[in-house]
Amino acid sequence: MIIPKEDIQPMNSQNGKPVGAVMVVGGGIAGMQASLDLADAGFKVYLVEKEPAIGGHMAALDKTFPTNDCAMCTISPRLVTTAGHNNIEVLTNTELLGLEGEPGHFKAKIRRNPRYIDLDKCTACGDCAEVCPIVLDDNFNGGLNQRKAAFKLYPQAVPNAFAIEKKGIAPCRDACPAGQRAQGYIALIREGRYEDALRVIKEDNPFPGICGRICNHRCETACNRNLVDDPISIAGLKRFVTDQVYAQPYEPPLPAKRKYEERVAIIGSGPCGLTAAKDLVQAGYGVTVFETLPVAGGMLRVGVPEYRLPTWIVNREVQEIIDLGVELRLNTRVENLDELFSEGFNAVLIAVGAHNGRRLPIPGSDHPDVFTAVHFLRDVCLGKAENVNGRHVLLLGGGNVALDSARTAVRLGAKQVDVACLEDRQSMLADEHEIIEAEEEGIRIFPGRAFNQIANNNGRITGVEAVDVKFMQFEADGSLTLETVPNSEHILSGDMVFFAIGQSAGLAFIPEDSQVGTTRGGTVAVNPNTFSTSRAGVFAAGDATTGTAFVIEAVTAGHQAAENIQKYLLGEELEVREQPELPVVKMSPTEVSLRMAKGEIEPKPRLRMASLESKQRLQTFDEVNLGYTEEQARAEAARCLQCGVCSECLSCYYKCAAGAINHDEIAVQEQLDVGAVILASGFEPYDAHLSGEYGFGRFPNVVTSMQFERVLSPSGPFVGHLVRPSDGHEPKRIAWIQCVGSRESERNWCSAVCCMYATKQAIIAQEHAPGTECTIFYIDFRAYGKGFDAYYERAKEEGVRYVRALPSAVRQNPNDENLIIHYTLPDGNQIYEDFDLVVLSVGMQPPNGMAQLAGDLDVALTEDGFCQTTNLSPLDTTRQGVYVCGPFAEPKDIPETVMSASAAAARAMTLLAEGRHSLVQPKEYPPEIDVTDQPPRVGVFVCHCGSNIAGVVDVEAVTEYARSLPDVVFADNNLFTCSTDSQTRIQEAIQEHDLNRVVVASCTPRTHEPIFQDTIRQVGLNFYLFELANIRDQCSWVHRDFPEAATEKAKDLVRMAVARVRLVEPLQRKWLEFNHDALIIGGGLAGMTAALELADQGFKISLVERQGDLGGNMRHLQFLLSHADPQALLAQLIKKTFQHPNITTFLNAEVDSFEGSLGKFKSTLKVTDIEESPLINHGVVIVATGAQPYQPSEYLYGQDERVLTQLELEDILARGSAEISALKSVVMIQCVGSRTPERPYCSRICCSQAVKNALQIKEINPNTEVYILYQDIRTYGLLEKYYRQARQEGVMFLRFEPDQPSQVNADGTLQVVIHDAMLETDILLEADRLVLSVATIPREDANQLAQLLKVPQMQDGFFQEAHMKLAPIDFASEGIFLCGMAHYPKKAVTETVIQAKAAAGRAAAILAQRELEIEPITSHVLEDKCDGCAYCVDPCPFDAITLIEYTDEAGKTKKRVVVDETICKGCGTCQATCPKDAIYVSHFKLDYLRAMTMAALEV
Amino acid sequence: MNDYEPLIIAYTCYWCSYTAADLAGTSRIQYPPNVRIIRVQCSGMVHPNLVIDALTNGADGVLMCGCHPGDCHYREGNLRAQARADALDLMLEDFDLEPERFRLSWVAASEGPHFAQVVKDMVADLREIGPSIYK
Repeated sequence: MIIPKEDIQPMNSQNGKPVGAVMVVGGGIAGMQASLDLADAGFKVYLVEKEPAIGGHMAALDKTFPTNDCAMCTISPRLVTTAGHNNIEVLTNTELLGLEGEPGHFKAKIRRNPRYIDLDKCTACGDCAEVCPIVLDDNFNGGLNQRKAAFKLYPQAVPNAFAIEKKGIAPCRDACPAGQRAQGYIALIREGRYEDALRVIKEDNPFPGICGRICNHRCETACNRNLVDDPISIAGLKRFVTDQVYAQPYEPPLPAKRKYEERVAIIGSGPCGLTAAKDLVQAGYGVTVFETLPVAGGMLRVGVPEYRLPTWIVNREVQEIIDLGVELRLNTRVENLDELFSEGFNAVLIAVGAHNGRRLPIPGSDHPDVFTAVHFLRDVCLGKAENVNGRHVLLLGGGNVALDSARTAVRLGAKQVDVACLEDRQSMLADEHEIIEAEEEGIRIFPGRAFNQIANNNGRITGVEAVDVKFMQFEADGSLTLETVPNSEHILSGDMVFFAIGQSAGLAFIPEDSQVGTTRGGTVAVNPNTFSTSRAGVFAAGDATTGTAFVIEAVTAGHQAAENIQKYLLGEELEVREQPELPVVKMSPTEVSLRMAKGEIEPKPRLRMASLESKQRLQTFDEVNLGYTEEQARAEAARCLQCGVCSECLSCYYKCAAGAINHDEIAVQEQLDVGAVILASGFEPYDAHLSGEYGFGRFPNVVTSMQFERVLSPSGPFVGHLVRPSDGHEPKRIAWIQCVGSRESERNWCSAVCCMYATKQAIIAQEHAPGTECTIFYIDFRAYGKGFDAYYERAKEEGVRYVRALPSAVRQNPNDENLIIHYTLPDGNQIYEDFDLVVLSVGMQPPNGMAQLAGDLDVALTEDGFCQTTNLSPLDTTRQGVYVCGPFAEPKDIPETVMSASAAAARAMTLLAEGRHSLVQPKEYPPEIDVTDQPPRVGVFVCHCGSNIAGVVDVEAVTEYARSLPDVVFADNNLFTCSTDSQTRIQEAIQEHDLNRVVVASCTPRTHEPIFQDTIRQVGLNFYLFELANIRDQCSWVHRDFPEAATEKAKDLVRMAVARVRLVEPLQRKWLEFNHDALIIGGGLAGMTAALELADQGFKISLVERQGDLGGNMRHLQFLLSHADPQALLAQLIKKTFQHPNITTFLNAEVDSFEGSLGKFKSTLKVTDIEESPLINHGVVIVATGAQPYQPSEYLYGQDERVLTQLELEDILARGSAEISALKSVVMIQCVGSRTPERPYCSRICCSQAVKNALQIKEINPNTEVYILYQDIRTYGLLEKYYRQARQEGVMFLRFEPDQPSQVNADGTLQVVIHDAMLETDILLEADRLVLSVATIPREDANQLAQLLKVPQMQDGFFQEAHMKLAPIDFASEGIFLCGMAHYPKKAVTETVIQAKAAAGRAAAILAQRELEIEPITSHVLEDKCDGCAYCVDPCPFDAITLIEYTDEAGKTKKRVVVDETICKGCGTCQATCPKDAIYVSHFKLDYLRAMTMAALEV
Repeated sequence: MNDYEPLIIAYTCYWCSYTAADLAGTSRIQYPPNVRIIRVQCSGMVHPNLVIDALTNGADGVLMCGCHPGDCHYREGNLRAQARADALDLMLEDFDLEPERFRLSWVAASEGPHFAQVVKDMVADLREIGPSIYK
């Protein structure tokens, strides 16, 4: 156990004031609650969430127990408030990495992961998702349906924006020098979107038809699919795209717009030159390409034979570049660079390639029948080749050029063609399939030869004298190490010899005085980073600078050269651009085999494309490889593993009219100054795959409880229809299996919520489909919370069947996919029962990744991986200044999570009290224009929302129509009204046209009203002079097929908005001074804890205790399960309370009178022995009056002194061991006074109390027999381990049914007869002591306090909070809070302390405000109309209306109602009740609603 | 009668039903363009006179939507709405209006599809009975 730390006092001023900011990690309900409390209390909050939206698990729930509230309905306002709070900065896609510094002065290191979509620009239209080709399991819906890689986490997500899921760069793209987005175009091919595929290919490569044929495709070598079978045929698929698109008639592109005066000369029309030409012409420069040859395309056109690369492909791809507006000068040799500059070119790119064939310097190489292969190929391409018909051709060289020439010679009728090369067969540079095809065509290969001389006979070539190579290697500098076999000289015969040993650039036009340097290797000397030569303005790239390389390198060089030329022309410095390091998704063999095991990847070898038979090939230059058919290509594309998830196909980028997509975003690390950190990291649902016996993942109709929530949810995968996944049929019989991943040896905890959510799911399932048979298999039914047992009983009444058994296995009937559950009844009967659907109630686990983060933060975890906390502050981690809340500390339900969040917030507030308000500044606005006497002048702004509205609604027509409406003096439309520039235009229009009312017709006010209100406020208009017409979410999106009707509706909506906005009046928020002190009623553990937490923050507290001493029930508590000494803790607490300068304690005191409302309460006290009644003014009040133990009359209690309560047993235990050691047998009976018809609730704490005392007894005397007679053992959460410990130490647990209570006789010995529900037999126990676990009941006088404070009680007498889930500490009346056992039985110390600190946090969130803000939308009484009928008083849900008597001017006594604005919430129930229109809600006056109605009806 | 398209005024509470109507949009659930939504704070805010005014001034139908009972953002405003709706049902007859012309539906924030269905159903019913006599 951890020794409780000294409470942390507010930071003293020596270190300087603490930083008034808190980082909250986790955006679920806990994180939001903590953030809101802190932000209200004047702290800056960074809410860090790793997902792209806040909401956490609660956002995925359908309903919540025990009220069956819609989870989204309750959480949605909280989401919006969090995101809209001035003091909260929501950082989505963000992770905390580490923390340096001291409490109060931390530096938090965070990583903001890329979202790839700009939050400020995204309009949530979903166009990106629509065009996204990547389909994934939708994890938010438990994988029951699919979503795209561009996605919104859930429909109501906040922030309301899309994100892109991308793991990183796919290895294929990474391997490509040009960065071709191969995964992208493959995904598009799979979808049959070939034009789109070609578009993304051409983004990086203007020659896809060419590269699809002759690239050496390093992408395929890198392909992760190599780990499975064959790589994807990426090159083949690329070619397929061009085959498809180029089959359509060529349509020239629109010429690029000229933006700059400057002109660039490009020498050489090969792939490098043309790529650069394309980039430059598209950038807006004038571009001229000079080409010596009569054709463009360089080596592509004259270096590759037709059968491998058809000329028309080259021509087409070249033409497309020329048609952009590039000037092409063929047959033009550049002789002199100076001439180019004098002709007016501002920059020159030398991209002449390497067209000069090399020859070996061996005797005879200058013979007229010795040629270079590259010249031969060129001549063939230009139609003027040497005649090889009938000749014996010998090729020297083993690369593609050699093979190309050889195969060309075969086709031109050579009688024999041989290829000889230095390398051995395996090391030949030519593509393997080229060699194979060549051999098929009869070409002989002589590898491993070096050549001595050309052999001739009388001037006629007879062949080449060669020697065998023993060893060869090219060194790094290009030189050759060669060892030959002695005496191996032989003649390779042939009568024509072609050298194919490489090429060099033809640089004759670069004379020495041209200032452009060349290298020894005969290439242009360039700076490899900038492509600049030694002469300013002259650049060079491609083979001319590197020697021969592949097309893709030339393309890459072309891009880079163009980029540098642009920089040069713009006068920018030619610096190497820092490329961000993007992660490459390389899969490991383990990962691949895991995915294969899961069935996500199935082995499927690559599809081969068809090719011409070798016999056919010999006769023709027709293309050898025939390409994929459409069917083949799509099948091949479907093999892609989608390594990066997002394929970077750029479809979203092209589609997004708002320009919000940025695929180049990278993760950024930042440091933030914060004073404290709250870990609200939530939980991870147990991975049900690990419970293999239940078949999850194997049987489609076995789902987890989280999945079932989504099944039930109306916004889930089945839109709320109760169906099962396998066949979409409605299940008739559903089973729940409890404790999956909980209460087992490895996870020795109870997940605290599953019994209840399973019950809720069963009830809701029956509501969805009456007659559904629901069965819940459970061990103990743990309905330990407020209202839980009643809910459990209700479920039983409604026919939910509960079976106390832990199923051993689930099997599937292969015929109907039904499931057979096997379980054993207590009598040993084996049952096999059939179900249509099985729901696994999966438990809570510590959140993923927290072990790592906790280590980095230096925060200790328990052995189970939950966050370790201290006893007296279950919010404090082991690192000062770092707090924890929610299930990360212990499995919890929603209300307890919310409580712990407010409590953790309170801890941070205390630590940083001096830094309050230091980092939050209200936004400054110009003074408001007084529009009171001005006639309405309305401006209407209609939004296209890209095509989201304009695609359906005729926006121009709506705008034109708006101009015709009364009082409209200005109307305009914008592509995106919410963009910054449009907002500026609205402001300009307001000023230019003296607008005093504004209507925006766009999307929903829920997300966008605050934005536009702020816009008009910035130019002095009151922000209530605004109206939004929802023509997107409620018009264009839902009437897609009726554009005309939708346009008419949009006009109507605008007309209605104008009708309303003409009438609306400016409203002012009011700020009231108020009292910043607190009254706390109850001086027990809860009251003192709340008092100290507030007092430490500097607030003045009046603590009222009815008894003569502080301490309450805790005074009777002797032990804690955690082994801490409760009395020592209590003594410490009492001492602090008495000593604290900010706490005034009133003992023997009670609240006598109470009046007022939030911020201005007045109470008087009645103090024993004091006559005068102290008057206390206070801003808030906390009720901490506790509860009391039930006084039993059962089981001879009070008649036999051997019958005790647990508290009385504790007293004995505390007195020493002798008395206990003497006992042979102790029997404990649970639920005495609880779970009875009179008190049908569970007292929550008695099970753990019994376990605690049983363990104490066993510690003193292990031989004392301890029996605990129970109905369900409810050791929820981490208490479970003590239950297990008790069983291990021999405590006997015997279960009885409530209708068969135990019988107790005292006939000399105490005898207890229990009817054991397991064995179904009576058991007689002799007891030395019988200990009763008695109920905790509300205080007798709780109802008096309830009446005094006007706060409600539950039926059972405990106080009723404002909302069972989300406001468990608040009363419905503002400013009154609740904590401790007055709320419900609570575990000491932890639960009481949490709720007490939570109450302090909630109270401080109000008290810390400088002034109290009164929302202006409240109800108002028209005094002269109100006649005091008081119809409105009772319907007011907030009791904000009172009937008063007053004397009018004539002296007559009259009646009317008054509204307390601080209480009123503006719901308008009063307005709808009043028969005389005498009460109205501002901004929602009946007149406004009527005006809109009449406008809709055009009357 | 084939070209008759009913016009419905819908008063939807901001917290549940208006949100659901937005959700129908986000989810692209299509429904007939016959409804004009007027946002109110709470279904309990809608004065019965407003409903009658709408119906006697040419609305073919009035739809009122609020949070499910128990889910009201204002605790029980929706229950007041229910009470008024019961009264309105009785008043319709006095104005010679068919019962189909006024409807109260509970639509939760996550029930986008349900909102669309409510509108579809009401439009179908109103097409059936034809235009309002006040048109």
